[in-house]
Amino acid sequence: MNRLKNRRPRGAALVDILAAAAVATAILAILFVAPTEATMGLAQRIVYVHVAMAWLGLAGFLVMATTAAIYLARRDLAWDQWSQSAAELGWLASSLTLATGSLWAHATWNTWWTWDPRLMTSFILWAVYCGYLLVRGSLEEPHLRARLAAVLAITGVLDVPLVIMATRWFRGIHPVAPKMDPAMHGVLLLSVAGFTAFFALLLVRRRAQLRLDGLLADIDAGGVWTAECGADETHPTPHTLPFTLHLEE
Amino acid sequence: MTGASIAIQVLRLAKVLGRRAVLKDVDFQIVAGQRVALVGANGAGKTTLLRCLASLARPSAGAVHWFGQPARGNPQARRLLGLVAHDSLLYPHLTLRENLLFAARMCDVDHPRQRVEGLLESTGLRPHGHRLPAAVSRGMRQRLSIARALVHYPRILLLDEPFAGLDTAGAEWLTELLIALGQSGRTVCFTAHDDAIISRLADRVLEVRSGRVYEIPRDSAGIPILYRSTERRAA
Amino acid sequence: MTAKLWWMIRKDLLSEYRSRRTWPAMLLLGILVAVVFTVQMDLPPEGQRRIAGGLLWLAILFAGVLALDRSFALESEDHCGEGLLLYPVSPTAVYLAKLLVNVFALAALEMILIPLFIALSGVPLLAHPWATLLVAGLGNVAICAIGTPLSALAAKIPERGNLSALLVFPLIIPVLLAASEATRLIAEDRLGAEWWRWVQFVAAFALVFLVSGTVLFDFLVED
Repeated sequence: MNRLKNRRPRGAALVDILAAAAVATAILAILFVAPTEATMGLAQRIVYVHVAMAWLGLAGFLVMATTAAIYLARRDLAWDQWSQSAAELGWLASSLTLATGSLWAHATWNTWWTWDPRLMTSFILWAVYCGYLLVRGSLEEPHLRARLAAVLAITGVLDVPLVIMATRWFRGIHPVAPKMDPAMHGVLLLSVAGFTAFFALLLVRRRAQLRLDGLLADIDAGGVWTAECGADETHPTPHTLPFTLHLEE
Repeated sequence: MTGASIAIQVLRLAKVLGRRAVLKDVDFQIVAGQRVALVGANGAGKTTLLRCLASLARPSAGAVHWFGQPARGNPQARRLLGLVAHDSLLYPHLTLRENLLFAARMCDVDHPRQRVEGLLESTGLRPHGHRLPAAVSRGMRQRLSIARALVHYPRILLLDEPFAGLDTAGAEWLTELLIALGQSGRTVCFTAHDDAIISRLADRVLEVRSGRVYEIPRDSAGIPILYRSTERRAA
Repeated sequence: MTAKLWWMIRKDLLSEYRSRRTWPAMLLLGILVAVVFTVQMDLPPEGQRRIAGGLLWLAILFAGVLALDRSFALESEDHCGEGLLLYPVSPTAVYLAKLLVNVFALAALEMILIPLFIALSGVPLLAHPWATLLVAGLGNVAICAIGTPLSALAAKIPERGNLSALLVFPLIIPVLLAASEATRLIAEDRLGAEWWRWVQFVAAFALVFLVSGTVLFDFLVED
């Protein structure tokens, strides 16, 4: 009998620890290592999280679209699972971008929102993520869902550069890169790296979850697995599945 | 047998819907001129198989060929096929005549108007040609669907439950039509439940069961033995 | 191919003419939105010229999305769309036919909304008629290029409600910005390099999504 590979590969625990350490380091650095900014004070530290989340929102979109395109080429639902995981995490990052951006705007300019190109782009990304997740949520059939979501993802990713261009040129607003002293710059990079590591871990775990969901649904439906072992409508034999699930690790 | 006389060739076809493999490892061929009935319990996969044969559904594995040409990814090959589906596929805001004319034009039929008038005549729908689909009976819509499937002189005709909803006269007319089509060298494949019609009409009966297709054998008189037991036969 | 394209367009326009299901609602919505917007525009001429472009394009978008949403709804009834797949016609031709029908619908909308806007708000768009026409035309094609595949996508989802509007709006924002700015510059009588850049942007957007729509449509229609 085949053993369903539910065991995590050796070294997975180490990766978990490293990712956790990376993000913990980043958070500690944000709170304690980064120098306090002259005018804005403590609240300025939000920007380290904001930039990391903005980057992850965009990166998530690229991963979502790339894996979606590969699904369309290969028709392997595994790629669709990666796409869904990237979308969910990307949506989370995008939402946090908007939230932290809003908090930062309030701390800096005493306004809850500002029509700066990057925030506009983040908002549009967030809205497209919402649409993508809504489409996924409305469909049950895995291949139909994967296919339609893929088309949406690819259409969205083609739109992203156009959004960036249009928002930059609109009303002549140009984003100003804030002057950062080297220490702050260092913490920023650390923050981006730490959160990226953490989200990458979440991506892998989420995809593993979706994979198991898929396998369980296969069994539930009495689908390909059941048929492969010779069962049919008149003589169902649910106990002779060709593998064993090890649910305790 | 040369490739040209095999009307429909199904190679290792599988179709997964949702999580279920509705069709697995289906492999058979239909020779030109045969009249084949597809039988099976409800939900067995007859309609799915028919849709795969019609190229409406993308096989999860395997392929379908019509007279040697692949069915998918080949719009021009669709000239070979006519489908009478479960739904009438008629545009609700076009008259019967306009629906048929649209089909004729999309299939590059020569002299479309004459062809359409001829078909309306032979299906007895001429007096209703100016009406909208909703304004005529189901039987008439069925007849128009059949006319639409035949407008481009297809070599293969697929029908999904064509006898459902037809009265005795309608069923008789359709049976005569299918017999005539078979005799003129056209290949006919249809799904049905009525044993009497199948015995009369079909040269060959294929049963769809548990995702596979089985050949129903014939008795000494050449009539297919239809039964409802769980005995298995090899394809 | 062009003959079949024409027959498909004719079929859709004829169906719309007989059912009167989309255009009246679309035109009415456009007019209502335009009126409401111009009422809000009670500003000195300078201010009006600044925001006219944005409001005009919002009105076109809100009403136009109605037409886009319904462009594939016809095919869902009785699964007619499947009938189209049985004819020897390429999916690209089907896509182009739907696209052109949408462009036609939006053109009709613009022909009513733009003069209405000009009349109600007094914004001098007619001072440069060819420029206005160009922006209107390109914006039309751009909206339809991205809206048509998305409405085909939404049509495959049961109980979709206004899903296609939801999907189109965020993605169409670049066109909204570009067309608004181009229109604003026309109103302010500043047809220079900046205006031309926005026009090129809309054209580029339209081109990108015409191509991607054609390619992706194949994936949408297969079962």
